[in-house]
Amino acid sequence: MASRPTVALDGFGAEQGFGVLADGARMAAADGIRVRVFGPRDELALDRVDGVEVVPTSEWIGNEEDAVAAVRAKKDASVVRAAADVAEGRAAAMVSPGSTGATMAAATFGLRRLKGVQRPALAVQLPVPGKRVLFLDVGANVEVRAQHLVQFAFLGVAFSEAVLGVMGPRVGLLSVGEEAGKGRPEVVEARATLAEATGIDFVGNVEGSDLPAGAADVVVTDGFTGNVALKLMEGTAKTVTGAIRDAARSNPLAALGGLLMRPALGGLRRELHPDTTGGAILLGLRGVAVVGHGSAGAEGIANAVRLAARCAEVDAVGRTAALLSEAGAGRAALAAGRDGSGAA
Amino acid sequence: MTRDEVLSKVREHLAEELEIDAEAIAESSRFKEDLDADSLDLYELVMELEDTYGIAVSEEQAAKISTVGEAVDFVLERAPA
Repeated sequence: MASRPTVALDGFGAEQGFGVLADGARMAAADGIRVRVFGPRDELALDRVDGVEVVPTSEWIGNEEDAVAAVRAKKDASVVRAAADVAEGRAAAMVSPGSTGATMAAATFGLRRLKGVQRPALAVQLPVPGKRVLFLDVGANVEVRAQHLVQFAFLGVAFSEAVLGVMGPRVGLLSVGEEAGKGRPEVVEARATLAEATGIDFVGNVEGSDLPAGAADVVVTDGFTGNVALKLMEGTAKTVTGAIRDAARSNPLAALGGLLMRPALGGLRRELHPDTTGGAILLGLRGVAVVGHGSAGAEGIANAVRLAARCAEVDAVGRTAALLSEAGAGRAALAAGRDGSGAA
Repeated sequence: MTRDEVLSKVREHLAEELEIDAEAIAESSRFKEDLDADSLDLYELVMELEDTYGIAVSEEQAAKISTVGEAVDFVLERAPA
């Protein structure tokens, strides 16, 4: 059996503390993944754990810091060193549950963009029961051009096929109506380009209500809209599951019904929980970078490491590069298409 | 280190990252208007120059560099001989 990849894990930033992060590293290592943790050796207490190596690191980047400036200035920060670990070939992928901005900056500068990629995009698998819906961008790019949205579509298709196992995924563009003219100018322009694109099953515009319905397997939007929509969905799911739990405890008869439904609801709760998917992945880089949830428990940390390892094992980066090249979705090709002088 | 060497390095980096012909990059080329480079492209250029020439570029200094020639000047003024 082939050995599993090594994942560089930023040991700082887990809101639930070093103990929870260490437990997550242990759980991932138990699956055969080698984990290099960048953090304080004493607090992590991982010295005698098979498959886990602590690389002593004392500097870190907090949420309150200017992410880009901090990444450039703090070469010894845990997230910067984790990115360097991948860039220098000691690890196959990186994971950080810390500052999202710092992780994106460290990964983008440390791993570099794939050739032809203008903007990396942050993608998540939506917590939709029974479906594998990939949603991007959820926060990397607040403002986008049409060609960025087009590239996001191809990045999403490559990840969906390689990692989620959804072959020939249906791609939708999030807008305020299904008609071609609906939405901001960059959305209208992106729709026109995607409608003509080869190598992609574009189903047109989708609306917010289509997201949880699974009307498309890959849904593309800008980072501002995506982040708002994602948080709305996570918040709604949490509120609804809480309301169901409260209703099930409201009287003895309901409690009996709740008891009978408990196994089924437990599975549903797991599917809706953010820890289950492991976090978001930054697509479009020459290496794998996973942004874990800051509030993740040990299972969430472990799943983020597992997601990173899986991306490395299926060569998600190489397959993404190949698709962009085959589809003519690189920077130069898109620019030529925009000028009307080439294929999109 | 000569001006031509630094200019060649800058052009080589931009041609690779922006997927454009190096011959189309002149000293007078403006990053944003002429080369369609955005802030991320410029950060990557700055970091490449820092690593290659052992210089440090602050956020404020980077924001003032708007043409290829200005980037070359910046390196020549600060890089160790």
